[in-house]
Amino acid sequence: MDEQSKMTANAQETPVMEPGYTFGTVTEKISAIVLTRPASNGWFVGFGIAFLMTMMMLYAIGYLFLKGVGIWGVTIPIGWGFAIINFVWWIGIGHAGTLISAILLLLRQSWRNSINRFAEAMTLFAVACAGIFPGIHVGRPWLAYWLFPYPSTMGVWPQFRSPLMWDVFAVSTYATISALFWFIGLVPDMATLRDRATHPAARIIYGMLSLGWRGSARHWHRYETAYLLLAGLATPLVLSVHTVVSFDFAVGIVPGWHTTIFPPYFVAGAIYSGFAMVLMLAIPIRKIYNLEDFITELHLQNAAKVMLATGLIVAYGYGIEAFMGWYSGDRYDAFTLWNRLHGPYAIPYWSLLVCNIFIPQVLWIRKLRSNPVALFFVSLVILVGMWLERFIIVVVSLSRDFLTSSWGMYYPTRWDWMTYVGTIGMFLAAIFLFVRLLPMISIFEMRTLLPEAEVKE
Amino acid sequence: MSAVAKINLDLTAPEVVKKISQRSLVIGGVFAVIAVVLAFIHPDEFYRAYLLGFMCWLGVALGSMAILMIRHLTGGGWGTVIRRILGAAMRTLPLLFALFIPMFFGIHRLYIWAQPLGNIEDKHLREHLVQITQTYLTVNGFIIRAIFYFAVWNVLSFLLSKWSMQTDSPNAPDNSGRFKAVSGPGLILYGFTISFAAIDWIMSLDPSWISTIFGLIILIGEVLSAMCFAVVVERILFDYKPMSEMLKPDFVHDHGKWMLAFIMVWAYFNFSQWLIIWAGNLPAEITFYMRRLNGGWGYIGMILVLFHFVIPFAMLLSRPFKRNIRKLVWVAVLLLFMGYLDLLWIIEPTFSKTLAITVADVVVPIAIGGIWLWYFFRNLASLPLLPAYDTDAHEVLQPAHDAHA
Repeated sequence: MDEQSKMTANAQETPVMEPGYTFGTVTEKISAIVLTRPASNGWFVGFGIAFLMTMMMLYAIGYLFLKGVGIWGVTIPIGWGFAIINFVWWIGIGHAGTLISAILLLLRQSWRNSINRFAEAMTLFAVACAGIFPGIHVGRPWLAYWLFPYPSTMGVWPQFRSPLMWDVFAVSTYATISALFWFIGLVPDMATLRDRATHPAARIIYGMLSLGWRGSARHWHRYETAYLLLAGLATPLVLSVHTVVSFDFAVGIVPGWHTTIFPPYFVAGAIYSGFAMVLMLAIPIRKIYNLEDFITELHLQNAAKVMLATGLIVAYGYGIEAFMGWYSGDRYDAFTLWNRLHGPYAIPYWSLLVCNIFIPQVLWIRKLRSNPVALFFVSLVILVGMWLERFIIVVVSLSRDFLTSSWGMYYPTRWDWMTYVGTIGMFLAAIFLFVRLLPMISIFEMRTLLPEAEVKE
Repeated sequence: MSAVAKINLDLTAPEVVKKISQRSLVIGGVFAVIAVVLAFIHPDEFYRAYLLGFMCWLGVALGSMAILMIRHLTGGGWGTVIRRILGAAMRTLPLLFALFIPMFFGIHRLYIWAQPLGNIEDKHLREHLVQITQTYLTVNGFIIRAIFYFAVWNVLSFLLSKWSMQTDSPNAPDNSGRFKAVSGPGLILYGFTISFAAIDWIMSLDPSWISTIFGLIILIGEVLSAMCFAVVVERILFDYKPMSEMLKPDFVHDHGKWMLAFIMVWAYFNFSQWLIIWAGNLPAEITFYMRRLNGGWGYIGMILVLFHFVIPFAMLLSRPFKRNIRKLVWVAVLLLFMGYLDLLWIIEPTFSKTLAITVADVVVPIAIGGIWLWYFFRNLASLPLLPAYDTDAHEVLQPAHDAHA
């Protein structure tokens, strides 16, 4: 407990939680959003729009299955288009959840308690969105299961030396651990909802999900052990998933892909965009559901600091890559740099520099770090910038590599855009459902932050 | 702070520190004499060893500065208890600048790009160097940049030490805001300067080879060495007051965790570099590993995998092990030695295709180390082992059982 009391003592001006709450009021405030508060018109409108976007995605995917990947803008030499860009973008966003829930837990950062639940939910939904793309881009999606090394009678095995193969394992492990971590964390709160729900159906459903939790000392003991073990298991995954994604590019010898800085630079970029998404969700949610007492200025400040730090690592990656392109004297590397700055994709590249490097520097200003509106827009800019980054990496390098005779251009089609925008809709629809059906802030972990919870000797 | 009233502990460094300082000077002096003799007999070998030894000890000093800045940003008792150790290591930077000066005389011997291009037999390398030796890899550029790096490091070190010393006296100002204001940009400056220093001083030994992660590999090695060095010094001081009172198992545990984290990052960076270069298998890049994995150098590579990562990793997983300073110190000593071996494995194969560790490779790092340690322990003795009136001092001065209060 001493870490937590220190936390509150250190941050006198910005506490982890506003004072004046008790066990009862914390539980009441969070569970009421799910159990008693009626769904507002705004919720229905928002969910409706997100739902329509999801339908659009399903339509685009349905048409894809009918016609094949020819409806997309992918072509030779740009065989990797939106599918890979969006996959990497979504997987990157998913990184914040595990970082917050696992690494910050091991570092005993108690401020994570109020944002870990929905950051983890966000992770799961983002990974689900990411998972769509590898499945549909293989051309024959009904054979996507060939990616798994099942003992097939055909004697066809995946290429184990390919990082694309490792991706299958890294992402599926990540999805499994994230889901387990999220669900185990939910169990005590499910029991709270079960006990407080008045509708019999709700009681039965929450009752089943709570797995017979009674809150006995033994339950808590086992729970804490399991949670800590899962956190330990999840920690390397924060690094491994995006490292493997970066290998997808870096093991190739295409200029702009083959560079050793990629693994840490991709991981930093992933956390960067993940925290941007956390803020873009947290800022409206805390406003709409009056949760400013739980998700305080401290959370915004800390998330902004994480973004600032990871953004600088990303900037370091750009800088060192550009320098080495020049220093190496390799004409293909030098051309890649020139092509990014002055080639046909110069506008996206300059926008990327503005979005990812220049604008986020405003986060050095303390006032802006605690201004929700400003943070919301900076986060939006970062998310756009990180998408552009993947666009630049994938498209610009492929469009002009070694042989001028095989240069080409990539133009995404409306089906590309419909699928991409559609996954955003699916993500938002899932978030809308989540805030209505499950406690979006961990009730019992918030209770541990209260003065009542302090152990007195 | 209420902690001020509680100080009834003499915070001055124990006498033993002065004794170690003197003995280090004697050892450093003796080895320096041998090194100077070697410099006349085998000047080429001497300068390679000098670069190696210099980078080892520079790493401890710069890494200490980086950890100190991390502490200023994040707080925590683990950092407060060793901040004067880290500070004393950081304040050796002026000495390290003086020790860098001999490097200027070795540029032509160490770096192929500093030699007249006509002397280079390899045609491709010669063509490659035509352009870069006119812009970046020039002798003047090398010297100017080195002076710039040392200027940045010394300014940071000066500011951090100055404000730290103010908190030794009662009615000290609250400097935590200032520390924070310098540490954030300071860490960025450190990352930037050490990356370019790594390119200038080590990577350019083979000017045709590039790796964009190389600066970070050097950086993490420095931070790891610094943490291990702090653990070794805290172990020595632990036998005496005041460290025996201040160093709690919780802090040692945190130091162990940092060591574990740093060796994991070290392994991660090195593995990434190896995998990407191995998979790409491009002539310009793979030569780095061809040299370092063949001709006997591969044994050193294997030792690094085992003793710089696998074995310390397995040992540091244990919680009781990390909490016991008497045990942890041995892993720290091992890792300090591995830091040396790592740099040796990076630097020396550039010059010899087969495994060759010269006398100078052993003598010169000890000579530099002896002089450096003399200066370090002198620094350590000059200030109390804890800034007693700093706002964070209470975390360390409170007895363990009332940490909750």
